Amino acid sequence: MGSLRPVDPGSTSPAQPGFVATSANWLINWSRKNSLWPMPLGLSCCGIELMGLLGPKFDLARFGAEAARFTPRQCDLLLVAGTLTWKMAQAARTIYDQMPDPKWVIAMGVCSSTGGMYDSYAVVQGVDSILPVDVYVPGCPPRPDAVIDAILKLQKRIERENPLGRLLGPAVAPRPEEGTGALDYQPNRGLRRTALDKHPHDPKARFPIDETPPRRTEVQP
Amino acid sequence: MTAGATAPRFAPALAGLEHRLVDSGDGMPTIEVARERLHELLARLRDRAGFGMCTLVTAVDHLPAEPRFQVTHQLLSLEHRDRVRVHCRVPGNDPWVPSCVDLWPGANWSERECWDMFGVRFAGHPDLRRLLMPEEYDHHPLRKDFPQGGIEPDRLYREWDRKRRAGWSEPR
Repeated sequence: MGSLRPVDPGSTSPAQPGFVATSANWLINWSRKNSLWPMPLGLSCCGIELMGLLGPKFDLARFGAEAARFTPRQCDLLLVAGTLTWKMAQAARTIYDQMPDPKWVIAMGVCSSTGGMYDSYAVVQGVDSILPVDVYVPGCPPRPDAVIDAILKLQKRIERENPLGRLLGPAVAPRPEEGTGALDYQPNRGLRRTALDKHPHDPKARFPIDETPPRRTEVQP
Repeated sequence: MTAGATAPRFAPALAGLEHRLVDSGDGMPTIEVARERLHELLARLRDRAGFGMCTLVTAVDHLPAEPRFQVTHQLLSLEHRDRVRVHCRVPGNDPWVPSCVDLWPGANWSERECWDMFGVRFAGHPDLRRLLMPEEYDHHPLRKDFPQGGIEPDRLYREWDRKRRAGWSEPR
């Protein structure tokens, strides 16, 4: 949970405010992680697995994330399931921008994680080119179990967050990936031009060497 | 058409219009025509020969050769149960052909796709936007000089950024 600033700066007791803040953080995180509202962005065959995930057999309701809504205004978990083309990327970024904070992103499948087998001019080589991603799920498509695992990992991640500190703390400049709506988070920008054009079929050339996308928490085996 | 074959069914419809029958190798009657007479030829095929359906508008890039592009229309006659193919070669520095959307409204998206992929303009098209690639993309991917590894849509980023900073948020 980490160190927390006192809720009431005028308080004389050193222990009590920390306890209050910690408990409030725990409560907020507990309620957030157990009521994720996914925005299903089913772009290709991964969307079919997503339907199975939300259906009765795999039953995402057990983890409190079954209330899929098709308006981003009501959602806090963006499930990018499938191949994101450049034409769709504009809409995907708009959907992400329309989701209220706090929000998390799961890149489901290899296409949305890295571009997958579509090494093409038409396909975004990983949605982390335009969005910050919390959990990457490999697979083509991944089984619903893998996505459940991703959601459990995301819940563990949410447990470690500090919502009260973020609310009451000093105003921090938004990280570049949480920009003001401008498309300024592009860790892979220019990469294809510099490296991949020289070695168009070298898989290692696709990934940045000195630049790790932020908020990458878990990469499933 | 091979030598000795009978004249195709649509031959009377094209009387007086300069064109050339070529052998496409697959048995489908194929007409080669200059682009100045393309629209007139297509209109005659529709009105006088019964080709009521335009099934395909596409192009071929013969890069080292000039004229570079070959725009291909394939027409279908449901009543006569036959097809015809129309070739039209256009130069690489000025690739355009007349649009046939006024003849077959269904050719609209085919011509948009052909513009998107090959950069061949269709004069008189009501709404010649790209069909598959984003509008801000600069290149035409099915051209022979398009690199195999693709081209990162750099201008795309800049356009989005500029529009978003100006308060624009809805995708087209």
